[in-house]
Formats: sequence, C-alpha cells, structure tokens
Amino acid sequence: MSKLINEPITVHLIKDLQITAFIWRKRLYRVTEAFDWWREPSEWWEGDAIPLFIRVNAKNASIGTYELCKLDDKWFLSRVLD
Amino acid sequence: MSFVHLHVHSQYSFLDGASSIDKLLQKAVVLDMPALAITDHNRLTGAIRFYVKAKALGIKPIVGAEIDLEGGYHLTLLCKNVEGYSNLCQLLTKAHLSNRNSKPRATKEMLQEHNKGLIALSGCAKGEIPTLISKGDTKKAHIVASEYKDIFGSDFHIELIRYRSREWNPILHTLSSFASEEGIPTVATNNVHYAEYEDYKVKELLNAIQQNTPVYNLRGNRTADQYLKPSKEMERLFRDFKHALRATEEIAAKCNLELELNKPRFPKFQLPTNETDFSYLSKLANSGLFKKYNPVSTQITKRLGYELETIKKLGFCSYFLAVWDIVRWAQKRNIRCQARGSAVDSLVVYALDISNVDPIEYNLLFERFMHPLRKEPPDIDIDIDRRRRDEVRDYIYEKYGSENVACVGTINTYMARGAIRDAGKALGLPQAVIEESVKGIHWLSASKLMDAADKLPELKNNPIYRQSELKQFFALCASIDRFPKHMSVHLGGLLIGDGKLSKLVPLEWPSGGDIISQYDKDDIERLGIVKLDLLSLPTLTVIEDTIKSIKRGHGIDVDIDRIPRDDPEVFAMLRDGKTLGTFQLESPAQREMAGRLLPDSFEDIIASISLVRPGPLKSNMDKLYLPRRHGTRSVAYLHPSLKNALEETLGVILYQEQVLKVAHDLAGMTYAQADGFRRAMTHDRTKEEMENMRGSFIEGALKNKVSKSIASEVFEQLSAFAAYGFCKAHAAAYANVSYQTLWLKYHYPAEFFAAVLSNQPMGYYPPRVLVAEAKRSGVTILPPDINRSFDFFSVENGAIRISLAQIKGMSEGALISIQATKKNGDFTSLRDFMSRTEVSRPITENLIRVGAFDRFGSRNHLLMQFSDIFTNKQRSMKGAKQLLEHDEPEANSPFEQPNAEARIAERDLLSIDLSSHPLDHYINDRDITQMKDLPSLKIGAKIKLVGGVIRYQTPPTRNGNRVVYIIMEDGTGIADVTVFNNVQEACGEVLFREPWLVVTGKIQKRGPKATSVIAESVRGFGQHFHK
Repeated sequence: MSKLINEPITVHLIKDLQITAFIWRKRLYRVTEAFDWWREPSEWWEGDAIPLFIRVNAKNASIGTYELCKLDDKWFLSRVLD
Repeated sequence: MSFVHLHVHSQYSFLDGASSIDKLLQKAVVLDMPALAITDHNRLTGAIRFYVKAKALGIKPIVGAEIDLEGGYHLTLLCKNVEGYSNLCQLLTKAHLSNRNSKPRATKEMLQEHNKGLIALSGCAKGEIPTLISKGDTKKAHIVASEYKDIFGSDFHIELIRYRSREWNPILHTLSSFASEEGIPTVATNNVHYAEYEDYKVKELLNAIQQNTPVYNLRGNRTADQYLKPSKEMERLFRDFKHALRATEEIAAKCNLELELNKPRFPKFQLPTNETDFSYLSKLANSGLFKKYNPVSTQITKRLGYELETIKKLGFCSYFLAVWDIVRWAQKRNIRCQARGSAVDSLVVYALDISNVDPIEYNLLFERFMHPLRKEPPDIDIDIDRRRRDEVRDYIYEKYGSENVACVGTINTYMARGAIRDAGKALGLPQAVIEESVKGIHWLSASKLMDAADKLPELKNNPIYRQSELKQFFALCASIDRFPKHMSVHLGGLLIGDGKLSKLVPLEWPSGGDIISQYDKDDIERLGIVKLDLLSLPTLTVIEDTIKSIKRGHGIDVDIDRIPRDDPEVFAMLRDGKTLGTFQLESPAQREMAGRLLPDSFEDIIASISLVRPGPLKSNMDKLYLPRRHGTRSVAYLHPSLKNALEETLGVILYQEQVLKVAHDLAGMTYAQADGFRRAMTHDRTKEEMENMRGSFIEGALKNKVSKSIASEVFEQLSAFAAYGFCKAHAAAYANVSYQTLWLKYHYPAEFFAAVLSNQPMGYYPPRVLVAEAKRSGVTILPPDINRSFDFFSVENGAIRISLAQIKGMSEGALISIQATKKNGDFTSLRDFMSRTEVSRPITENLIRVGAFDRFGSRNHLLMQFSDIFTNKQRSMKGAKQLLEHDEPEANSPFEQPNAEARIAERDLLSIDLSSHPLDHYINDRDITQMKDLPSLKIGAKIKLVGGVIRYQTPPTRNGNRVVYIIMEDGTGIADVTVFNNVQEACGEVLFREPWLVVTGKIQKRGPKATSVIAESVRGFGQHFHK
C-alpha cells in the first residue's frame, strides 16, 4: 500500500544522486538506504521533463519507505509506502 | 563477467530504433563492451555496415534480427556462423516474399527449414511464450516451448527483460520458473532501442509516425528504459538471475560469424563447348576489333591483349560475357543501349559493342576502369531506352532465373521537409503550421534546419522558426535527420547471384516494383556481389522516336551512330545556347559554358560536359582552360614529359585519366599505382598520408630526372585537381548522346521536339518551355484534335500536333478507347464521339476545353451541348436509347478564336501556352525587357524582367557563399538570373515561393555568347504590379 503525496521537499546530497537526507513538512528524514530507482516516460510533447524516482528507506521517528521524485532540478516526495 | 547486449535495434528497425549504428557502437566503446548484437525488425539492412564498423572498433559483431512470426509474435535470432547468416537471409526472404502487401511473417515450417547456425531467443513481450505466460495460458506455452526446442535444440533461450519501473516486470519470475521447468536456459536482454535513455522520445516519435497516430495516442506500455545499459547496471538489474547474465557471454562466444567481404561473386556464363570464359571472351573481343578497326595496328592488338589478361587475372571474364550477352540481346531487338561511366575506358567493352566510344580515338585509359590493385569489382553501367528497359530486365530474369536476380534496394531517409511533415503530424501540429514550416525549404537536411533558419534569407524572416513553443519540435525533426523510412528500388541496379541470391542477401518487396535486396548498393559492393546498372535513359527513347518519325515523315533512314560529328550548323546552334531539349547541354550552366567555350568540335563537348561539374567549377578549372582554348593565354608545361598527358587539354588537368598519365609519365608509377594514387587523392587524407604520397611521388619523379621543385609543383596541381577532374570516358559517352540530340534538334526540330514532349517527364524544362522553344525553332504547334491527335506528340506536315495524353486527367483507358474507335472512322461530331466511346465526363469536358473538338464548333457551344448529350446518354443507358440515335447532329460552327477563358484552360489542362502566354499583356510594357532580347544587350545594361520561374538552383560555390540561380521564362525566351547573397537578403520572402517574379538587374556576359542577368532586386509579380 502506498499513499500519494507529491509535495516539494529539500534534499541533501553528497554526490550527484546520493541522498543523505530530505526535509518534508519541516521535518528531517535521514536516508538509511536507497534501494531502487527508475525513470517514467513523461508527456515530453508538452515540454515535460522525464521524472526520476528513487525509493529510499529513511528514518525520522521510525524507519519508513519513501518514493522521492526529481523533476528538472526540483525534488518531490512522491509517495509514502507502508 | 562481461554482459553482452544480444537484443539491440538500430535505426534500421525502420521507425522503431532511435539510434544510429555509429551512436550505438560509440557507446559500446565507451562502456568497454567486448561484443554487441544488432537485431533489427525483420531485416538485416544495417547488418553489413554494423559488422564492418564494429570490427574496426574492436567490438565483436553479432548479426541477427528480431523476426515476426505468424500470429504477430516476435522471435530474436542470432547468427552463429555463415550457415546461420545464410539461413537468416533465406528466412527473412521467405517471410517477406510470402506476404507481399502485409507485414512479413515467418512460419514454424520456415524456422524448421532454416534453423541451422542460428540461436533463438524467445523475444520481447511480444514473443510467443511471454505472451502466453502473460495470458496465463501455461499449457499452450509448454506446447510452444517444445516446438521451439524441437527446432533450435539447446540453442533456444528464454529471454528475460526487466525494465526499471514502479512495478517491475511481473512475469519475469514466472518466465524464469517456466524456463527451468522446461529445461530451457534463460538469457538477460534489454531489448535496446536507443543508446541513451533521453532518446526514448525519438523512439516514441518514430512509433507515432509508423502507426500514423498522434504521439499521445500511442498504444502499448511506455518506457524510457530501452537504452544501452552499462554492464554494471544490467548486472544489478539481474542480480537475482545470474545464470541469465552469464548466458549473454556464452551466447556471444558461440557467435563467430566471419563474412567473406569484397570477394567478387558472379554467375558462371554458359559457354559454348570447348570454350573457357577467357577463350570465349578473347574470341569475341578479337572478332569485334576487326569490325571496328581497319587495319588493326599492333598497338591496338597489344592493348586488347593486356586488357583481356587483366580481366582474366581479376576473374571477371564471366561478368564481361554476361554484359555482352545482355547488350547483344537488346541490340538484336533494336533496343537502344550503351555503356556509360569508366567502362567506356575499355577497348574490350568497345570491341564487344557494349560502348560506341572508341577509346583509342579519344585517348582513354583502361586502368581508370580496372586494374589488379583495385579492390572493388568493375561496374559496367548500361543506359537503355526507357520504354524498353523492362524487356531487358525480363530477359535477365529469364536467363539467370528469378531466384538469382533482384533489384538493388535503396534506403529512403528523412530530410528537413519530410521530417517536419511526419513529425508535425505525429505531434498533432496544425496543418497550417506544418505548411508554413516547410515553405521555402528547398533541399536541406533536417539537422541543418535551425542553422539554415538563421542564415538563409528565405527562412530567416519567417517567425515560425523562432517561436519558442516550436523549438522542441524543430529539435526533434533534427533528431530524425537521415533516419530510414522505407526501402525502394534503386534506379537501375540489378543483382545477379552466383546461385540463389537469398542465401547471401535478404530480399523483400518494395512498396511498388520488383523484389529488392535489403542491402543498399554500398553493402552489396562490400559483399562482393557484382551489380549491373541498367539505367533507363529517356533520351535514348527520344532518339529512337525521332528517327522513326523522320522515317515516317521524310522517308529517310537516319543512321544516328554515323552522322558527321563536325556539322558546323549544329555547333553554331550550340554556341548560341539553343540547346533546350538536348541531352546534358540544356542546363543554364551548360548553356553559359557553350557561350564561353564556343565549341566547334566533338572534343569541346566532352570538355564542356566535364567542366560543368561542381568540382571543376569550384576549383576554377574553367578559368584556367578557357583562355588557353581561345588562345589568349599561352600553353606551357611545367615539364616536357607532361605534354603527352596534357596536350589534349592545353596543359590543364581536366580528366581523371590525365591524373593517371601524369603520375605515370612524371613519377614513373604504373597506371594501376597511379589510379590508387588518384583515388587516395580524392578521399579525405591525413597530413601524414599526404606527406607520404608527396614523398613517393617526388622520389619517383627524381628517378626520372625531374627536378624536386617541378615535381613538387606538379604534385600540388594534382592534389588540387585530382578530386575534381571528371572521368573522360563517361563524358565522351555522354557527349556522343548529346551530339546526337543536337544534330536531331537542328535538322529535324519538329520530329525531335515531338519526341521530347512525348517522353516527359525528362530533362530540365516543363512542356510549356519546350513548346515555346520549338516555336522559336520555327515549328508550328497545333492544338489537340480528336481526329488528328494520338497518344503522343505527332508530326503533321512539319508541325507538332499536341498529344491527347497531355490533357490533364486523361486516362490510359480513355486513350485506348479513343484510338480503337478511330480505327473505324473519324468522329463526325461531339455526339458521335460520346456515343462511340466510353470516355468519362470529366475527360470529355477537358477535351472540349482544350479545343480537341474545335472542328465541330465553338467551345462554349460544345460545352452546353455536352451537358445535354451527357444527360441523354445517361437516360439512354436506362432505356431511352432512341434519344441518342435520333438526335440530329448540330451544324458545324466556324472555328472560334480562343478567348481568355480558353487560354487559361490550355495552361491548366495542357500545361502548355498554346494560343498565347499569360505574360503577353505585361511584357509589352516599355519598362520590361523581353527575354529574347537579352543576348543583344551590352554588359552592364539595366533591365527589368517579368517571368515565370522554371526552377531554382543553388550549386556549391568555392567560397561557400550561397548563390541562387533562377531560370525564368516569359514566352519569348528564357533568362538565367543570378542572385547573390546581398540581394537574397532583401528578397527572402519571395525566393523559392513565388511562381511569377519581377527582376531588376544588369546584364552580365561571362563569354562572347554567355548572357545572364545579375539581379539587383527580386519581387513577387503581384507585389510589383499592385504597387
């Protein structure tokens, strides 16, 4: 089960796509593991960029699984997975 | 472990693969891949060039294809060896040829028959087993798996494809379990369709074009994951399927195709008993020699012997015999044909009657055609009377068997216009935007579109190229530049195999025409298959028609191959530039050259044909040659030993044959080495290569006691001209036909123009320009007449009668009906015509409008009558027959002069200005210069022209600046207008767009009789007259 969020987040990176943490709703989530990624075709004919999704385990109060999305240079929290 | 991509589509998966072979291979090099496969849909079109390029880059090429099976299933096949390659060729051929107007489909029986040497992978999601597993039909999947195992044994693998997505491939594990149940090994692939993931857009665009649907309506699951992934990424993706990863390497190790390239392959010629191909060829050539020369000198016999020995040594005796046999067969049936190209350099070709240009008389050099050091097979190109070319083709099919003969395929690719049209439609752009975007695009590659839109005056003022919302669209158009769309028949190339052709070349049906090879001519050459170019040449049809017409009208048999080659009147006409309709000499550039060169011999025509080429003009050969030809500059040779080679062209290197002679005479090279030297000079070469060539040239020259400085200077001249010189043999063959057409035009203009007009389309000019030229040559043009006209332009008491076939909308059925009915007597009235023929209403109406029934009354009256008769005829067909039979014919009215409406109808329906020219009213304006008067004006004279555009030309120039040439006509003559950059800037909006132009400018004369106009302004006709 997953919950669709699609809210902007701030991401902390050490290298190009190595995420160490992200801030969502003013709370910091420390990434413990990034375990999957994929791209989804966009409506490029409308000028949309191709989104990159990264699935991570991150820790706030407890550890959860989150789907982050990078679109152009902006980051979003796409989903929260149970 | 090194992962190998075994399922890869290139751009030769027409409209599905989104990367070129070069791009895929470049990425494979960057990713350090040891091997790479090519598996395009149902074809091997890219396979040979992939094979050659991959090997050159140190990558092992694995050749294969993804084929369509019955039911629309896919199957990936890879060649283990030559046997596998041959089987794949045959399989693809069968799949294509057994499905003429539909997608190729292979059957299991075909797979069974051609299984050897092939490895099969179960294919993408459209594979038969993956499809059945997806549907949950495991039972059927097991049956099918058994079938594949029966066919391919242990060489059948289940393909595992995993794209990264939110929901990975759900059936992957099911497929893997199924495979282990069946004992079938699995293999990991990525079904690659592009090198980089960003190119998925290009793939989707191509798919939308292919499916003729807007891109947002594309069917199927979308992915951006079909790119050439690095090994590491594939290993991570398939970390749970390690055996499938290992299998890629194992399969790659099994694929060891070694194609034998550049080995000549040609069928054995059927010989008379006790003859070898060499003995028979020698016999024929020697006997031909005695028919051509009397006496036969030792020099000639020696040369023939040398040529024959070379042909034997290179293994081409059968090829020469085959060409001789084909030409002889055609000649026996009075089909005009003759060799063109460098083959004309050969005395054997002349002795066998394949060419009618004497290589001894014209100082032609055999080694330009073939020699022992040349790798490529010789190419004898034959021009054939267009109307009868198919008869010759049929003979070849019959003689060698239809399985051994095919046409050469040619790959049609995207240029700017096509890319804009197709991509625009796929992206759902409004038609008006598409039309505006292509407007003004002349001949342009899609990748240069935006650059051209910044520079070219006719594009840069068009705001469409600057609209930000279209930026991505034009970038997409550029991304499909030169992408293949489909294959079609190469103009003349025929392949004759040394056995069943499909064992070496996959064949298919083109959209129209005969069976073609999936390879283009370059790859055919790489495979060593000798191709025969049988080119339709309409000029030969014109010559034949003219000769027949002369016989009919004058009772004279013209032996066109024996006409005097020094007819002064013919040369006078050529010098005056009155060459419209003639072969090779009618273009503006050739007319201008005639006015500068002032030719008075056949050799001058050869020189003229050779000079008017982009290369010679770009390198200013004309400026070196013409003053010497006119004696205004002295002829000098850098060294006495150059005289032998260059005397015929007054010290200027004009012909490729001369490059060989100079290298031979000065630097002591053999002619074979000299040809290698010439070829090397014509290709891009590194500084180092150039220095090596210079070194060996100078070294050779020094041995011949030529000073270093002279040798160096000659080398510089050769390097400047070698790439631009023209093959004299080819020019001589063309000059022969050119002269024949000039001669016919001068002596029999009516018969000649009637033939040219009957054989349209051909040449440079449309019928209305040719008709105007015929009138200027003193020929009367008669309107179409239902009783007098035929289905061709005929000659009637020295005048040309317009053909009924010229009328817009005329059908072959209507022509047959009219001609057949006339055999039973002329038509006596419109009513009679309509009752006796089955010609449609629109055609009959057009016949009336262009005056074909003028003998029966005025056009207006006939049109009214036509409507009544037609209604009655329809009624009569419903039972009221008496209305037609008993209706009295109308009395003949006197011929009524065509009015303005009739004149418009003539232009629209005949494409000919018969009664008058649309500009007649304007060119009498005292401001306007009539084009017929241009030659009499002085240099620099200011003029204003009004005329219709015949065509635009933008030939390459030495400094790279574009010059636009406009050929115009005003009914009195034609004008050649030059528009330089500065003027183009000001008239960008009308160039390439407006059909009627007003040009102001001044007279230029580049030679005594070479008149043209330098434009100072160019405006649209309406724009001018409305101001």
